[in-house]
Amino acid sequence: METRPKVWLKDFLPEDFRRGSHRFGLWIGTTSAPVRYTAQPSSVTRLPSGPAGWPGRPWPGQQQRCAGRRASAAEFSVSAFPSQASTTSPSHRRPPARKVRVARSRLPQDPVRLPRGTEGRRIPVGPRSAKSAKQDGKLQKTSPLCPPPRFSRNSRPSALAPQLIHSPGPGRLGTSAPPSTPAPAPAPAPHTPRRTRPGSRSPSPAAKAELMALFEVFQTTFFLTLLSLRTYQSEVLAERVPLTPVSLKVSTNSARQSLHLQWTVQNLPYHQELKMVFQIQISRIETSNVIWVGNYSTTVKWNQVLHWSWESELPLECATHFVRIKSVVDDARFPEPNFWSNWSSWEEVSVQDSLGQDILFVFPKDKLVEEGANVTICYISRNIQNNVSCYWEGKQIYGEQLDPHVSVFHLSSVPFIRKTGADMYCEVSQGNVSTSIKGIVLFVSKVLEEPKDFSCETRDFKTLHCTWDPGVDTALGWSKQPSQSYTLFESFSGEKKLCTHQNWCNWQITQDSQETYNFTLIAENYLRKRSVNILFNLTHQVYPMNPFSVNFENVNATNAIMTWKVYSVKNNFTYLCQIEVYCEGKMKQQYNVSIKMNGEYFLSDLEPFTEYMARVRCAGASHFWKWSQWSGQNFTTLEAAPSEAPDVWRNVNSEPGSHIVTLFWKPLSKLHANGKILFYNVVVENLDKPSKSELHSVPAPAKSTKLTLDRHSYEIWVTANNSVGASPASIIVISADPENQEVEEERIADTEGRFSLSWKPQPGDVVGYVVDWCDHPQYTLCDLQWKNVGPNATSTVISTDAFRPGVRYNFRIYGLSTKRIACLLEKKTGYSQELAPSDNPHMLVDKLTSHSFTLSWKYYSTESQPGFIQGYHVYLKSKARQCHPRFERAVLTDGSECCKYKIDNPEEKALIVDNLKPKSVYEIFVTPFTSAGEGPNATFTKVTTPDEHSSMLIYILLPMSFCVLLIMIGCYLKSQWIKETCYPDIPDPYKSSILSLIKFKEKPHLTIMNVSDCIPDAIEVVSKPEGTKIQFRKSLTETELTKPNYLYLLPTEKNHSGPVPFICFENLTYNQATSDSGSCGHVPVPMKPPPSQLGLMISPENVKKALGKNYMNSLGEISAGGTNLNYVSQLASPMSGDKDSLPTNPVEPSNCSEYKRQMAVPLCLASPPLTENSSLSSITLLNPGEHYR
Amino acid sequence: MKVLAAGVVPLLLVLHWRHGAGSPLPITPVNATCAIRHPCHNNLMNQIRSQLAQLNGSANALFILYYTAQGEPFPNNLDKLCGPNVTDFPPFHANGTEKARLVELYRIVVYLGTALGNITRDQKILNPSALSLHSKLNTTADILRGLLSNVLCRLCSKYHVAHVDVTYGPDTSGKDVFQKKKLGCQLLGKYKQIIGMLAQAF
Repeated sequence: METRPKVWLKDFLPEDFRRGSHRFGLWIGTTSAPVRYTAQPSSVTRLPSGPAGWPGRPWPGQQQRCAGRRASAAEFSVSAFPSQASTTSPSHRRPPARKVRVARSRLPQDPVRLPRGTEGRRIPVGPRSAKSAKQDGKLQKTSPLCPPPRFSRNSRPSALAPQLIHSPGPGRLGTSAPPSTPAPAPAPAPHTPRRTRPGSRSPSPAAKAELMALFEVFQTTFFLTLLSLRTYQSEVLAERVPLTPVSLKVSTNSARQSLHLQWTVQNLPYHQELKMVFQIQISRIETSNVIWVGNYSTTVKWNQVLHWSWESELPLECATHFVRIKSVVDDARFPEPNFWSNWSSWEEVSVQDSLGQDILFVFPKDKLVEEGANVTICYISRNIQNNVSCYWEGKQIYGEQLDPHVSVFHLSSVPFIRKTGADMYCEVSQGNVSTSIKGIVLFVSKVLEEPKDFSCETRDFKTLHCTWDPGVDTALGWSKQPSQSYTLFESFSGEKKLCTHQNWCNWQITQDSQETYNFTLIAENYLRKRSVNILFNLTHQVYPMNPFSVNFENVNATNAIMTWKVYSVKNNFTYLCQIEVYCEGKMKQQYNVSIKMNGEYFLSDLEPFTEYMARVRCAGASHFWKWSQWSGQNFTTLEAAPSEAPDVWRNVNSEPGSHIVTLFWKPLSKLHANGKILFYNVVVENLDKPSKSELHSVPAPAKSTKLTLDRHSYEIWVTANNSVGASPASIIVISADPENQEVEEERIADTEGRFSLSWKPQPGDVVGYVVDWCDHPQYTLCDLQWKNVGPNATSTVISTDAFRPGVRYNFRIYGLSTKRIACLLEKKTGYSQELAPSDNPHMLVDKLTSHSFTLSWKYYSTESQPGFIQGYHVYLKSKARQCHPRFERAVLTDGSECCKYKIDNPEEKALIVDNLKPKSVYEIFVTPFTSAGEGPNATFTKVTTPDEHSSMLIYILLPMSFCVLLIMIGCYLKSQWIKETCYPDIPDPYKSSILSLIKFKEKPHLTIMNVSDCIPDAIEVVSKPEGTKIQFRKSLTETELTKPNYLYLLPTEKNHSGPVPFICFENLTYNQATSDSGSCGHVPVPMKPPPSQLGLMISPENVKKALGKNYMNSLGEISAGGTNLNYVSQLASPMSGDKDSLPTNPVEPSNCSEYKRQMAVPLCLASPPLTENSSLSSITLLNPGEHYR
Repeated sequence: MKVLAAGVVPLLLVLHWRHGAGSPLPITPVNATCAIRHPCHNNLMNQIRSQLAQLNGSANALFILYYTAQGEPFPNNLDKLCGPNVTDFPPFHANGTEKARLVELYRIVVYLGTALGNITRDQKILNPSALSLHSKLNTTADILRGLLSNVLCRLCSKYHVAHVDVTYGPDTSGKDVFQKKKLGCQLLGKYKQIIGMLAQAF
């Protein structure tokens, strides 16, 4: 709904508005009713007004023309047809039809109850149906098209007067504008209901005036004649004087926008009551601007003050109103024609003067209306120079100027915006400055809805519980309107109760004798009243209390007696009860039974040892209204003997001399077990020896047992037992002959997880077939299953959830003979769904040659695969682009290309790959395949073919190796010989020839190298300067070179008294070159002839000299010549014979061999001068690291 | 006439003279004792500042909550309908002495306290479901009461001011709903404005 109000006055021309103020005034009061009037301006009838009327006021003809024009131009939001504009807006009309048993009555929809006897006339007026006029009760002497005026509850004329009336008809009363009225002269009141249509012809004003004048003359003459006749005939009439309303006082109620009239009737006979009709005229702004004319019919007593109210649609503050009244007697006791009294004088009602001194006022204040109503708002501006702007909910609206100070706004079909009201404000501005703001809050209420689903019921015949759906809450803020109230009214008892809840109410039943109730639920708020009605018999509205004491008696295996009770609410009240029996959540049985107070029902056809739930609910039997709540109880039937033999099967393993028979049985269903199975009895009877039988009792819940039977035929009886008894026996016969295992196994194809098995019928009589299989064949406990098939069947479908893809299932089909002997007929095997192989065979490469090799995977099992192996794919990769014969090119999943060879026979597990190139690398891979695909990808195995000549090489290398080995063995065996031959021992110096030569030339005690006697070795002595070793090293290059020193441990001239014999031995092993050169001494010497050198070294001094000289020389030479090393060994003087002459050297003597520790002295290095107590070892000198720094 | 002028007029003046007449700030004489039932806290000024800051922090939210609850046209016409042009609002001079400022603060708090009381009463009737607004109004009124007590304590204890002439907020009981809504909005707009000023002045 558009929130912006329609301000239809803007469609008027200014003069229209002034002239049409009649029309404006006609809507007074209509907006307060919940009516949306539709515009019917074409039927508007206006009071005739003459030139003396409001300036510019049209003559009737003119008015009609104007009305017609407006009808085509203006958008009207009100209707001139009060009868059509019913008191209920179209959107809230309810069809008269009622549901069965709920008779709704429509109460008066107007906010205020209208007293009868008032008729109002609005100008212009429209047609009204005779029916509505007939309903007006005391409405009389007016046109049947006139609507009934509304009166307040206290029988005073209502403040609301939305209905429009036509001028009164030609009856005795109801002339709204009689000739005697002081109204403007040429305004004869029409004597007939006037319905003016836009297209109807109207006489010209002049002709009409003539006609009217003629009619007035005729009428006056006629009335005078009648009056004289009456005067002549009646004494009473001669005594009567006109009853004129006097003391008219008018007060206002601004909040309700109503005028309140009170008056008395003059000349009323003492203690006499008369029915009178009062005609009231209301004008606005000017007396001539009559906006409403209406009749008020009532009985008047002597000295009575009469009251009547009229509600204006325009706030009373917005315009001055004028009221006058006249009367006529309308009493049956005076059937003679009566005459209207004179009009009272005009009473002026003006509220503006009391407003105060503010410059702006907006009216009405805080008005309460209903959603969809039309509202007229006005503002009064004291200063006509001011610019006034008005806003409705924030949007500017434009009105029409009623007078220079007053403007009015018409809001059509105001919507409900919020509970706190909708705001309209006006501001006075001078220039751009707002000087004053005034506003109003319009409280728009939601339309009160008729209560829905109204019903009453009783549970105990003491209280009636009535419920309904209240619909929307019409409460408004500011306490402008509370939530609608609900009242229960019972017409038979005349009692009424105000309900404290919005959707339910309790009614106390006080009279036991009353069985019929006529309830009216009245919803009411400040604006509207709605009601619904129900008429019912109390016994028909019984909502029983819930049954109680539900019990079960005589419960056995198949039946029970159910009992319950209901509350006794009334004598001889019969209940209809419904019983439902549930088992495992499903309803099994349902019964209906009529009871008085105690219910009982025999429940039969129950299953043994079953838990049931039975429940009951009740309702009134004579007239169903509502079921009570369920009351229920559980019970369990007793056990019975099992009703069916267990399904038994067997598995026979033949062993030498016996059969291992495993019996399997399926647990009985709950339906057949009839109780808890406690054990199974297995009776084994030897058919060859009938007198011998054995009983095996297997406690539940075992489902199998194993028997070892000898090679005889046995009949086995199996029964299931519960606490009551045993089931029928299941019989099976084990033949003495071993089971036929020669049956060939067939493969069966999988079809969506099901196996379709078919077999050839067994010749002879069979009582049926049995197909058995294992649900889990991969496990030891394979969970044997079986299926019994009728004797005429030759095929069946095995389907179970246990089947898994990739598992091979083996089925055996047995035929059962009439002797209950099972005979294996066929074997089937298959997969519920074949899968690709899960692994690849382990591949062996054999017989590798330069041109071929052999692949084999003979240990690959084809039985344990998740599908039937159909063959193998051999993939071969090589550098060669071309595939070998029998291979085809294939592309692997990784995109690489290779050659592929397919083997279709799953048992062919070897392949010779030939036509290979020597000394080439081949990659090969073998994978099996099933109908679902081939095995998983795996790495290729590399095979390198050997060279062609490699074998020849082997032929040569092997003998050679053998020969070498022989030689090595020979060498090992002849090692002594080889040693002697190839590397003999070092010759003994004592055995040298030079020794003999020395002995021969020198002193006899001077010997060379007495090996046996060895003095402590002091092979070398290296002088070390005082201080640190580092210092020594630093000075090495200087001191060594400049002052070569050599410590002689052997006696020298300096530290020994006498000369000590001393020899210099050169180890030929270490310096063969030196030895060869014949040099002797511990210093490198230049290549000189050995003899002369030897001679010099005999004397120590010579030796010293030679050392000092030659050493220096040698240093200089070596430094320039190279880094030759000369290994020097010092040997002490021989101990033998010369022991005492040994120097007392701090070096301790030690036993040693012939050779002492040797050192390698770099030729470029000279020993630093050492002190006497120096004990630097030779290692120090040989430290290369220190030296090569 | 001279006698009249010389004697009667001064006599009348003397007879009609009473303490504080014509004084805009009738203050209890220094020697008068302030009757305070409880001792004043030491840091009264800090408490006053804190309360002013607290009020200042919530004033805008209260203002928004108020005009939102009124519905159109208030939220979109704040300058027209909620402008802080309250004519009889007590003045405040931020550059005055502390005593003068406290006295003015006292008047303002009294004015605002009564105005908020009226607004709370009106809104509970007009907007019975606007619980958050009611809560906010009650909270603000509570703080204002505490502030009033502290200001009185300070005036009494330090400046020996035991009585201050005050004006109260406008009585809205006889006004129509629109006027109540508008006046409440104006007062809360004024409150938002003045409380910021007060918080800065102290």
